[in-house]
Amino acid sequence: MESKPRIGVYICHCGVNISATVDVEQVAEFAATLPNVVVSRDYLYMCSDPGQGLIQEDIETYDLNRVVVASCSPRMHEPTFQGAAQQAGMNPYLVEMANIREQCSWVHSDRERATEKAKWLVASVVAKAAELSPLEEREVDVTPGSVVVGGGVAGMAAALDVADAGFPVYLVEKSERLGGRLAELNRTFPTLEPVADLIGPLIERVQTHPAITLFLNAQVTNVEGYVGNFKVKVTGQEGERQVEVGSIIIATGYDLFDPQRKPELGYEYPNVITSLEMEQRLFDGDLAVNGREPQRVTFIQCVGSRDVQVGNPYCSRVCCMYTAKQASLVKDILPNADVTVLYMDVRTFGKGAEEFYDEARAKGVRYRKGNVSEIYRRGERVVLSGEDTLLGQPFDWETDLVVLAVGMESRADISELSTMLKLPRSADGFFLELHPKLRPVDTAVNGVFLAGCCQGPKDIPDTVAQAKAAASSALIPLLKGTVPVESATAVVDADLCAGCGMCVDVCPYGAPALDLLWGVSKINAVLCKGCGACATACPSKAINLQHFTPEQILAQVDALVG
Amino acid sequence: MSKPAALIIGGGIAGIQAALDIADAGFKAYLVEREPSIGGRMAQLDKTFPTLDCSSCILTPKMVDVGRHSNIELMTYCEVVSVEKEEDIFRARVRQKPRYVDMDRCTGCGLCALACRRKDRILHEFDEGIAKRSSIYVPFPQAVPLKYTIDPEACLYLTRGKCGNTFLCKDACPADAIDFEQQETFVDLEVDAVIIATGFDLMDPTLKPEFGYGVYPEVMTGIQFERLSSASGPTMGKILVNGKEPKDVVFIKCVGSRDPHTGVPYCSRVCCMYTAKHAHLVRDRIPDANITVFYIDVRAFGKGYEEFYDRVKHERVRYRRGEPSEVYRRGDRLVVLAEDTMLGRPVEVEADLVVLATAVVPRGDTADVAELLGLERSPDGFFQEANVHLRPVDTVVEGIYLAGCNQSPKDIPDTVAQAKAAAASAMRVLARRRRQST
Repeated sequence: MESKPRIGVYICHCGVNISATVDVEQVAEFAATLPNVVVSRDYLYMCSDPGQGLIQEDIETYDLNRVVVASCSPRMHEPTFQGAAQQAGMNPYLVEMANIREQCSWVHSDRERATEKAKWLVASVVAKAAELSPLEEREVDVTPGSVVVGGGVAGMAAALDVADAGFPVYLVEKSERLGGRLAELNRTFPTLEPVADLIGPLIERVQTHPAITLFLNAQVTNVEGYVGNFKVKVTGQEGERQVEVGSIIIATGYDLFDPQRKPELGYEYPNVITSLEMEQRLFDGDLAVNGREPQRVTFIQCVGSRDVQVGNPYCSRVCCMYTAKQASLVKDILPNADVTVLYMDVRTFGKGAEEFYDEARAKGVRYRKGNVSEIYRRGERVVLSGEDTLLGQPFDWETDLVVLAVGMESRADISELSTMLKLPRSADGFFLELHPKLRPVDTAVNGVFLAGCCQGPKDIPDTVAQAKAAASSALIPLLKGTVPVESATAVVDADLCAGCGMCVDVCPYGAPALDLLWGVSKINAVLCKGCGACATACPSKAINLQHFTPEQILAQVDALVG
Repeated sequence: MSKPAALIIGGGIAGIQAALDIADAGFKAYLVEREPSIGGRMAQLDKTFPTLDCSSCILTPKMVDVGRHSNIELMTYCEVVSVEKEEDIFRARVRQKPRYVDMDRCTGCGLCALACRRKDRILHEFDEGIAKRSSIYVPFPQAVPLKYTIDPEACLYLTRGKCGNTFLCKDACPADAIDFEQQETFVDLEVDAVIIATGFDLMDPTLKPEFGYGVYPEVMTGIQFERLSSASGPTMGKILVNGKEPKDVVFIKCVGSRDPHTGVPYCSRVCCMYTAKHAHLVRDRIPDANITVFYIDVRAFGKGYEEFYDRVKHERVRYRRGEPSEVYRRGDRLVVLAEDTMLGRPVEVEADLVVLATAVVPRGDTADVAELLGLERSPDGFFQEANVHLRPVDTVVEGIYLAGCNQSPKDIPDTVAQAKAAAASAMRVLARRRRQST
C-alpha cells in the first residue's frame, strides 16, 4: 500500500465509562488536526452495530485506508473493528486501537489531565497507523481426528462425541483397562445405581466404535505441531506409533489424597480405612472389623481437602455426597449401628443431592459438626478425639470403623504432560483453563482441551458435561476443516542473518530453525505466534515482527515524546 | 441442500455459548430470545466470583460475536410458539413480537427514550425495579442488538390510543424508525437439533414474609444488590440505601433453598459464592461497614472458591451459622433475629441493609415448554436429563438438548461447560446430516 494514508479516527464514549472522565468531543476535535487524519468522530458505543456502521460508511465515503478506534483494550474489541473494516473492504491489519478506557479513564480521576493523556494516546496510535502495512489473512487445513489422553469416564465420553461426529479418535490409556477411577466405585450418588451398569455399556461402546482406536498400556510421549495439525507420538507395549490429528483432549483424571500424610488420623490401624476402600467393602457387602459387625461407623469428611497445612486449600467437591451415600448404605446394611458423619460444612449441591442428604438423616445417619484432632487405639476399637464445634465441647468418641473421606489431588505425574504440551497449571496443581468463567475447557495452547478432574475435582455428571464440552471445542476445527493462523508473524531478512541461532533458543513455540544449506534462520509462519521474542533477541536486527516493526513502534514513540 | 441447522431457545450465556460453538463449527444457528436483547442473567451481574472479573466486560464480547457471526441468525423479542418433529427434522414456528421500531432504521441513539412522556416512570426490569425507564427503551446500554423497543404495556399510545397531541418519540427520532403500525409476524424454521437454554427464575421473596421484603425498603434480593453495586447500575456502583451508605449489612443465605416448606428442598448452588462476593464488594466500597453473613453450610466447592471464601472471611466479614427467623423494625433501623447455632442461643443483629439470597427456581413456563417439546421434568421442577450421570444434557427426545440452569441451578463455568456439552450432542446430529447430504 503506497498510497498516502487516509485515516479515520473514532473516539468511543463507552456509555459513561470513558466520557465521564475524558472529554471525548475534545479528543475527537484534536484528532482531526493530526497528520493524515481525514475524518474524526465520537460516538456513544463504537462497538455497537450503528457504531461499526459509522466506520464502514466513512471507509466508503472518505476512501479511508486506515482506521483508528480509541476505546477499550484491543483484547476486547480489536476483532470487532477488524471485522467491521474487513466487511467494508479494508485489510483488517490497517486498523489500530488506542486504549483510552483501561489505560486512561478507568485509572484517572482528573478530567482535564485524563483528556490530555487520551489525546497523546490517540496521537501516538495515529502515527503508528500511518506506517501500517496490510497483512494476509491465512488459514491452514486441518487433519481430521483427535487424540484423547485418558480412558476414564471423561476420556470415554469425549471420545464418543468426537467419533460419533464422524472423526477418527485415538484414545490413549496408561493402564491395562478402560473405566478409570469410576470403575473402582460401587454405586453412584444420588441415584444409587450400580456403577457396573453405567460403565459396562460405555466401555463396550468405546471398544466397538469403528472410529475409535484404543491404545491401552500406552502413553503420549511427544507432541509436535499446532492446532489443526498435531503429530502425537504414542508409546506402548507394542512400540511407538505416531498419529496425526487436529485437536487433543486431556482427560488424565486425579489422584486421591494419601491419608498417611495426616498421621494423626491413624490410617495404620485396621479399623481406619479410606472411602475408596469402603467402596470395595460395600461392593463385597463385608463391613466386618476383626470378624465382627461394627456397632459404630464414623465418617470423617475433608481429609486432605480444605486443609492449608497439607497444601490443599480447596474443596474436593465430591466427598460430601459420596460420604452421604456410603453412610446411607451402611445404615441399610446395619440398621442398628450408630452411623455418624463428622463434617465442617455439608456441601450437597448437585441435582437431587440435598434431597439425598435429607433422606440419609431421616434414615438415622447422624451428622455432627466437628474436627478430629487425633485417632488412637483402645482395645479392638479406636477413639476419635476432637471437638464438636456446635456444642463447643471436646469429645472422645469410641468407634469400630472409621472411614476417611479422602480428597482429590492433581496427578503425581501431571508435570510430565504439562511440560510436554506447555500447559499451565493453577495454584491448586490442576491444569489451568483459559478463563475461569467463560473458557472452562480451553487451554493456553490452541487445540488442546481439558476434560474432567484433571482441571479440578468434579462429580460424574459434571465430568461428563465437561468432557462433552471439550469434545465440542475439539470438534470445531475438525468440522470447519480449516484453522486461521497468526498473520503478524516474524520474518527473517536473510541478508542480515548471521545464523547464530539465538532466535531458535528463545522461541517458546519452536518456529525458527536454521537452514543448514544457507546457514540462516527461517521462521515457520504456521508455528509463529507473533510474540516478538526472536526479534528482540536477534543481535543482527535481522528479524522483523510484522505489524510491530521498528518504524511503526518508533513513529508511535516519536509522537509521544516529540 | 440447505446447511444443517440448530435452534437455540434462550439467549443467556448458555444459549450464547451453544450458538457460538455450533456456528463456529460451520453450522447454522438460530438463536431465539424473548427479551429485546440477548445477555440474560449474566448481563445483570456486577462482578463474577471468584476472580471478580466484571461480568459484562467478559460477556459483551461474546454478545457482539453472536451479533456479527455469519452463521448465527439472531431473533430477539421472539418466542417459539410450536415445534413439530417429523422424522429427524424439527419444524418450529417463531413469533416476532412487534417492537414498534424499525430495526433497520434505528441507530440506538436513545433520543426517543429521552423524549418519552413516561421517561423515568416505568419500573426497569433489567435493574430489578431499583430504577425507572421510559416506555421506549433498551434493557441496557450494551444490548445486542442495540435497537429500541416500545413496551406495549407502558406506552401511552399503545395502551390508551393517545399520547398528548404528538408522539414525542416519533418527533425525536432522527432516523424515522418509530412505527406504531408494526404487527406481529411469524417465521417458520426447519432445524435438525434444538437446544433449550431458557434459564431460571428467582423465588419470590414475599413467600418468606418474615424477612419483610416489600415492606422494608432496606431489604433487597441478591440480584437487586448486583444492580446496586454495578458500575453501570442506577447508582453507578455506590451502595446506597435510602440515599445513605449502610453501616451494618446482613446477608441471609438459603432464602427458600434447602427449605421443603417453600417447595425448594434443593440447594441453589450459587448463593454461597455470590454472597461471599457481595460481602467482599461491601467491604471494598464501605471499609468500616459491619458485615454479617447468616448461613447453614458454606458451600464453596468450585475451582478457587474455597480460597475466595477464606479471603472474604479474613476481610472482617462475620460468618454466623444460623437461620434467621425474622426481620423487624426498631427505630429507624432493622433487626435480624436469628438462632446462632454455634453459640446455641438467639441473637439480634441490627442492619441498615438486608440482602436475601433467594432460591433459583424453574421458570414459570417450564411446564408449557415441556408440553411444547414433549420433555419430562424432574421432581424439583427442572427439565429432566436422559441419564443423570452419563447423559446430562440429552433429553428423552432425540435431537433436543438442555443447556444451563433449566436443568438444575449452576454457576457460570458449569453453565458454559454444559452449553458446550449440548452443542457437542447437537454437532453429532448436525455432522451426520451434513454427511448424508453430501
